Amino acid sequence: MIRFLTLAPARRDFLIAALLFALMLAVPLLTGTRYVMTQLTVFFIWAVVASQWNLVLGVAGIFSLAQMALFAVGAYATAMLAYYLGLMLPAAMLLAALVTVGVSLVIGFGCLRLRGPYVALLTLAIGQVMYLVVVNDTECFTTPASGCLPLFGGARGFSRFGDLGLRDLLGSKWYIGHYYVGLVLLLAAQVFCIAIIHGPLGLAFRGLRDNPGLALARGVSRTRYQLWVFGLSAFFTGLAGAFHGAHFGVVGPTAFAFPMLLFILAMIVVGGLGTTWGPLIGAALLMWADEGLREVSDWREIGLGLVLALCVVLFPRGLAGIRLRVAR
Amino acid sequence: MDVALQILFSGLTLGAVYAVSTIGLALIYGALNMLNMAQGGLLALGGYMAMWAMQAMGFPAPLAALTAMAAGAVAGGLIFLLAARPMLGGEGFETRIFIATIGIGLMLESLILKAFGPQPQAQSLRLDGGLMFGRVNLPWQNLLIFVTAILMLAGVALLLGRSRLGRAIRATSMNREAAQLMGVPIRRIYLTILMLSGALAALSGIMISSMSGLLPNMGADPMLKAFIICVVAGLGNVPGAALVAFAIGMLEALIQYLFGVQYAFAILLCLVIAVLIWRPQGIFGQKEVVRL
Repeated sequence: MIRFLTLAPARRDFLIAALLFALMLAVPLLTGTRYVMTQLTVFFIWAVVASQWNLVLGVAGIFSLAQMALFAVGAYATAMLAYYLGLMLPAAMLLAALVTVGVSLVIGFGCLRLRGPYVALLTLAIGQVMYLVVVNDTECFTTPASGCLPLFGGARGFSRFGDLGLRDLLGSKWYIGHYYVGLVLLLAAQVFCIAIIHGPLGLAFRGLRDNPGLALARGVSRTRYQLWVFGLSAFFTGLAGAFHGAHFGVVGPTAFAFPMLLFILAMIVVGGLGTTWGPLIGAALLMWADEGLREVSDWREIGLGLVLALCVVLFPRGLAGIRLRVAR
Repeated sequence: MDVALQILFSGLTLGAVYAVSTIGLALIYGALNMLNMAQGGLLALGGYMAMWAMQAMGFPAPLAALTAMAAGAVAGGLIFLLAARPMLGGEGFETRIFIATIGIGLMLESLILKAFGPQPQAQSLRLDGGLMFGRVNLPWQNLLIFVTAILMLAGVALLLGRSRLGRAIRATSMNREAAQLMGVPIRRIYLTILMLSGALAALSGIMISSMSGLLPNMGADPMLKAFIICVVAGLGNVPGAALVAFAIGMLEALIQYLFGVQYAFAILLCLVIAVLIWRPQGIFGQKEVVRL
């Protein structure tokens, strides 16, 4: 135990990731319930988004709310590439992730001169514009058998753009295949996060966050690293959006919905802003609380709001922060 | 000519509604560096309280408006006492209060949903009929909104510019520490600001719901617009916010006429994005000189 605690932080975090991964690998063997599997798959998706958003919001300290818009870009790009160009879904997903990186770089460039809440509002406005463009476009771009389809899918969105091929491969057990795809996605995203947070990039991000004056004086370029963090955090966000689309088989404007944005933001803040494991802890806790509150659906939103407000007021550093304080 | 008059009327009405809810936000940001994301909930609270006071309690319209404003003030005060006060001066205040008020707004809206149901309702507090200018109809309701808003703005301007309390508020916004050293009880000032802003939000909520009806989530879009106005004017700049509110109202009415209602908000947001990139500190904002 002592040796474990004195390990270098990066190695310790990689070790935890490996252990958790091994544990999660075994879950489908223990309980085969479809419901649990599907919920866990959704958890993987949101955990990926939360962990990547945390890079921008917590580690680099840039108050960007663009992450859900990027998630939607990933989902829409996948659906459109697969639907219009007939690409295989895995290829479309990878391309979509790259498209997301491009969009994110443009957004990052747009907020270079802004600070704090101005960034929040600009990024929120960008997401809202995307949503309105998608929903208000009623001109038919193509007319498939199901009726009129606008370029961006309109209010109904896209469906029947193919799947990952696991339905053919595994038959009725396809959801277990999706579980593993989600798990691998989360592992990759988390390892990526750990590498960044403990690497030189993370150091630069934190330097610019905590003491921009000193960082700038030491030659750390704000422009360069802000673009880095926007670009890097977008890849797995876009991929998560793509996988969300592939998993559910539909991509619609609900991906832009404000409540979803709040839900993910709550995960990060409840878990611990800027910490390595906080977003995952928060995602697990909030997904669990959300499930629990579904029984009393009237009180779900109220409970969610209460949890959010209480956590921020009582635990300034999130749940991961409490753990740290006890450990020291 | 008729069209121009029509656009002018609806633009001024929209501007008046935006101005009332925006100056509250600007005041809060100026003094506390706090973005109040519960504003949407406060707007809905005001609208519903006015309707409830008239229908369930049988209050006359002015008293109903006062009831709603009192409810807004209490809600604003509670937000300060329960959420902002404990974390005041702590690290990451701006981010944390932003998220805490999101939670509070969510709770407020859900409570309203539970109490009044999800179906849209009509605001009881409204005037019917109108005045004809040639062929253009000016509804009494719009005139009432405009006059109330102007009176309210004048009241707030007097309060800020001429009263002891206003001087304390301005001093706190300019320099928190210096104001505190001069004996300004800043916590009480904060509480007053949040209560004032809550009351203004409630009033704005009545105005909005008298035009577009009551829904538990009716505050979401107006809140986003209020933030846009704050940011375009420069955060915390109260007179600038009022001015920009009217400009945005006129612009929105114009865009609605030229391009259709469904594109108005999107075009408006694009303009805001352009403004922010061109002038990051807002139109009336002071360029921040950061000493390192």
